[in-house]
Amino acid sequence: MPDLMPPRRERLEILGEVNSPSFVPWIKRHSGRLGLEASAFSVAPGRIGVTVAGQPDLIDALEVGCLLGPIDVWVSAIDRAPVADLI
Amino acid sequence: MIDAWYPVGLISGLTREGRETLLMEQPITVRAGKTGKPEVVTADGRSLPIVERFGHVWTSLGTPEKDLFTIPEADHPERVLVDVGVVRVKCSPLRAVENFLDIAHFPFVHTDILGAEPHTEVEKYDVKIREEEDEVWATKVKFFQPQAAKSAEEGITTEYMYRVPSPTSSVLYKTCPPRPGEWDVICLFVQPLTETLCDVWPWMALFDEDTSMTDLIHFQQLIFLQDRSILENQIPARLPLDPGMETPTRADLTSIAYRRWLKQHGYTYGAELVAQ
Repeated sequence: MPDLMPPRRERLEILGEVNSPSFVPWIKRHSGRLGLEASAFSVAPGRIGVTVAGQPDLIDALEVGCLLGPIDVWVSAIDRAPVADLI
Repeated sequence: MIDAWYPVGLISGLTREGRETLLMEQPITVRAGKTGKPEVVTADGRSLPIVERFGHVWTSLGTPEKDLFTIPEADHPERVLVDVGVVRVKCSPLRAVENFLDIAHFPFVHTDILGAEPHTEVEKYDVKIREEEDEVWATKVKFFQPQAAKSAEEGITTEYMYRVPSPTSSVLYKTCPPRPGEWDVICLFVQPLTETLCDVWPWMALFDEDTSMTDLIHFQQLIFLQDRSILENQIPARLPLDPGMETPTRADLTSIAYRRWLKQHGYTYGAELVAQ
């Protein structure tokens, strides 16, 4: 079994036509399926921010999933930045 | 999608009697006209537009705004052009294209041919929707293959480029073992019969002076028949444009880019819009 990388906390800023009411619940659900902790949501026109914590590969997977997202959003870009080490 | 071009038959297979088939559920007949040129007509006698390219007859139920894409590399006079034929698959036409773009399945589905354990890792590669050409491109894709082509005698790390120039067509460029610096061109042209049934017309333009045409066709048919059993058992049958019930990863970025491009254009024939 491969060694797990240390968990990480990152801020994702999801940009585009993202203000459908379905998107935040979708992100929460998808984060949960990936075993990530999602918190501190912020919503502004053309932007959703979320802080996620967990395995780096799974944060990558959340980014990949969000790039497509639900049918009623169009994600043009996702900016990622580390928040702070968990350990 | 109605205005896109779709393959509906081999030019070499045209007959005066014609072949009755479907295009997006519409009955059509593909035949050789009196002059030998291809004709495609609908059940109510409407003549559809035609392009002859890559060994196939292409048509559209609508009014295409642009010409069918080109593959300049395939024009090289020394290439062997291979009409592989047709394989009917009970799956969404979009699923057939997406499977073609998926390199991660090689070691598990095309074991000891296009991939083998333990060489299962897909290295990081570049993928983007090229706005100017309005196409999906994946480049710098590298993968170890035990037998990358009929002409390959031993395992090599093969480099690929994937291109999606129309909703149900994909072009794969891959390392050409006998001709370093050139790319073999392998295409998947998909005719959407219905949202969950398609005819797949593989086509190749290769540098290979040694392998017989029969062996080249058999090699490609073997690869695609291995894919068919996987394709016909995928759930849901249509290609999800919402990944809510899946866990795509970095290795799936080409698939994600393809789905984003479909979504951007409203190409939803054969797609599942909401995760079930």
